[in-house]
Amino acid sequence: MSDKPEKLITDDGLRLDGRHADEIRPMKIEIGVLSRADGSCYLEWGRNKILVGVFGPREAHPRRSQRADTAVIRYKYNMASFSVEDRARPGPSRRSIEISKVSREAFEPVIMAELFPKTAIDIFVEVLQADAGTRTAAINASSIALADAGIPMKGLVTSCAFGKVDGQIVLDLNKEEDNYGEADFPVAMTQDGEITLLQMDGNLTPEEIKKGFELVKKGCKEILEIQQAVLKKKFETPVEEPEEEVPEETAETEIEVVEAEPSLEYAPEAVAVEEVIEEAEELEEELSEETTEACAVDEEAPECEKLEELIKEAEAEVVEGEAIEEVIEAEIEEEAEEEAFEDEADFEAAFEASFEEVSEPEEIEELEPEETVSEEAEFEPEIEEFAEEEARFEEEPELEEEAGIEEESQLEEEAGIEEEPQFEEEAQLEEEAGIEEAVSEETLESEPEIESEAESSEEAPAEEEPEEESKGPWKVVKDPSESGSRGENDE
Amino acid sequence: MSEIIATLKKDYIYNLMVKGKRQDGRGFKDFRDIKLETGLISKAEGSAKVTLGDTQVLVGVKLQTGTPFPDSQDEGVIITNLELNPIASPEFEPGPPREDAIEMARVVDRGIRESGAIDIKKLCITVGESVWIVFIDVHILNDDGNLIDASCLAAIAALMTTIVPNEQHGIGPNVPLAMKEIPVGVTLAKIGSKLMVDPSLDEEAVCETKLTVVSGSDGAVAGMQKMGSAPFTEAEVLEAIDMGCEKAAELRELYLEALVKRE
Repeated sequence: MSDKPEKLITDDGLRLDGRHADEIRPMKIEIGVLSRADGSCYLEWGRNKILVGVFGPREAHPRRSQRADTAVIRYKYNMASFSVEDRARPGPSRRSIEISKVSREAFEPVIMAELFPKTAIDIFVEVLQADAGTRTAAINASSIALADAGIPMKGLVTSCAFGKVDGQIVLDLNKEEDNYGEADFPVAMTQDGEITLLQMDGNLTPEEIKKGFELVKKGCKEILEIQQAVLKKKFETPVEEPEEEVPEETAETEIEVVEAEPSLEYAPEAVAVEEVIEEAEELEEELSEETTEACAVDEEAPECEKLEELIKEAEAEVVEGEAIEEVIEAEIEEEAEEEAFEDEADFEAAFEASFEEVSEPEEIEELEPEETVSEEAEFEPEIEEFAEEEARFEEEPELEEEAGIEEESQLEEEAGIEEEPQFEEEAQLEEEAGIEEAVSEETLESEPEIESEAESSEEAPAEEEPEEESKGPWKVVKDPSESGSRGENDE
Repeated sequence: MSEIIATLKKDYIYNLMVKGKRQDGRGFKDFRDIKLETGLISKAEGSAKVTLGDTQVLVGVKLQTGTPFPDSQDEGVIITNLELNPIASPEFEPGPPREDAIEMARVVDRGIRESGAIDIKKLCITVGESVWIVFIDVHILNDDGNLIDASCLAAIAALMTTIVPNEQHGIGPNVPLAMKEIPVGVTLAKIGSKLMVDPSLDEEAVCETKLTVVSGSDGAVAGMQKMGSAPFTEAEVLEAIDMGCEKAAELRELYLEALVKRE
């Protein structure tokens, strides 16, 4: 251990690492880094390196730990023995047990555990490198991992600490400040500012605590923006289709903003994140308007009626790029192959059913506008070019699965396949008479949208837009019963 | 402490709270009767027993010599342990400490350590070689709620009456343990939207969350811990800090300052 530096805050008000008092350290988040975990996150915050894996809801062992009315949430904070200067003894310490307990309690108010009685939701935190503030970093990472796992939550939990250094209240202590500072005050809060974790040691007057709260709220807001950007990126970015300019563009910019090793000037970056989000939203708006127009045109061409239905169906399922053509093609040309797909579809339908509640709705809303434009624009001229698309069609499902895409995109893909056969049978018979009914017989949640779009193609996108904006990327927020507006308040 | 409580009783306590009352007739800012005894265990260097309502906590302080930590060569060592003794409640079982026992021990420890209650520099015998290690062992004898406040009070009282056994080790005459501060912990339970001090066992079972505030005699907060699964609002936290500091000052004056004068 080095000796205490003479000053932790220099005369010009900067800290040893060059930050201002109200600045957090640069944060980098990667989502879905572990293939076997249901949700995972790798987070770097300053020199902290944290890895979180989430499993569940899964069967709770031992059985006596099960609870009949709710899932048990288990949070295990563990420090790698090499994460600190002097080797830490492996295994749980009293410190890690305490941190596990308070961190679990930080998530209990937001995780909708009552939806999964008798199960366990496991959150495993590995601190790979520690540099003060690991419990707050772990909570931020866990929040993302839980969202990645699709665990329904009322909102994200965000955590940040403040402390006192050289008599001054500062945000997000680094190691030196933690060691030689006068106080450390970790806080975790929900999106609407309810405090779910609060610890403190050191020496603070009530006035200093008030001041600290202001700092922490600012810090948490910045972190929340980073978390949201990361989730948005993951759940909005199409995995393939490099020729599609629009989604790619947004994705790239977000990557830059989120992942670029931020300089010490942190605050401007948070602004940049905001701007990018706004830009993306504006873009989407524009696009969805175009979509509307395109739809209107399509509707007028009578011979395209059937195709149009298919397009809408495909839209609803968020089939990417050629998926639409695939559907059409498959129907027109490939009855033989469909049988094979049907089997697959059954299996996938069952698989999907378990995810439907959680993942379907936002995916549809968020991806729809972007995707459909290019498809529809291209569509009419390309009707005859099916032969080309065919080849791609066959490859795609495999490709995407190999690429290790999130469940969502698989589901979407499968949803498309799933409906083909059904649709084909019915659609060909009832082409004119009952396409809408045929569609609605299919059990997907996307149905209402299809109909509404068909009937009033202008309204549908208009309705979707605001939802998309307000509810943002963290699907967990809006999913289940309570859903809704919690996320908005804080921003 | 997941005591099981009848829904009927839960509703009763909740409804009382709405009316601004408590089960045992106390106000929201009233502690139960406190009885503090010190020097009960002559084998220990310091000891204190706190009876808070029906809650009983016994703290014994033992001092031993040992080597200092490498990063604090001239400072004594404080080790706090808290035992949820099975005689204290049917809920407690023998075995390694549960997470709530560990948490409570660490909160008590933090209050003492961070407030600078013990002058740890004076516990150094030879720099880098030999220092006093202060073992604070908290034994819960009967759990009727609010173990933390009782433990904090008993621990600081025991420390204030601790004698450093220098003679035993041939390093001069016995002296009282050098104290610099008197931290007092006050726990506030949140039931509905109300905060109340010193929750009884039933109130603990009903309350959604608790906040312990440990403060020193200068009115500064030395440690805090939120326990329980429900959130607090910022306003509630600030209110809890005010209430906690106020009650801590009262307790300090009533029970602990007498110990200082006695020395």
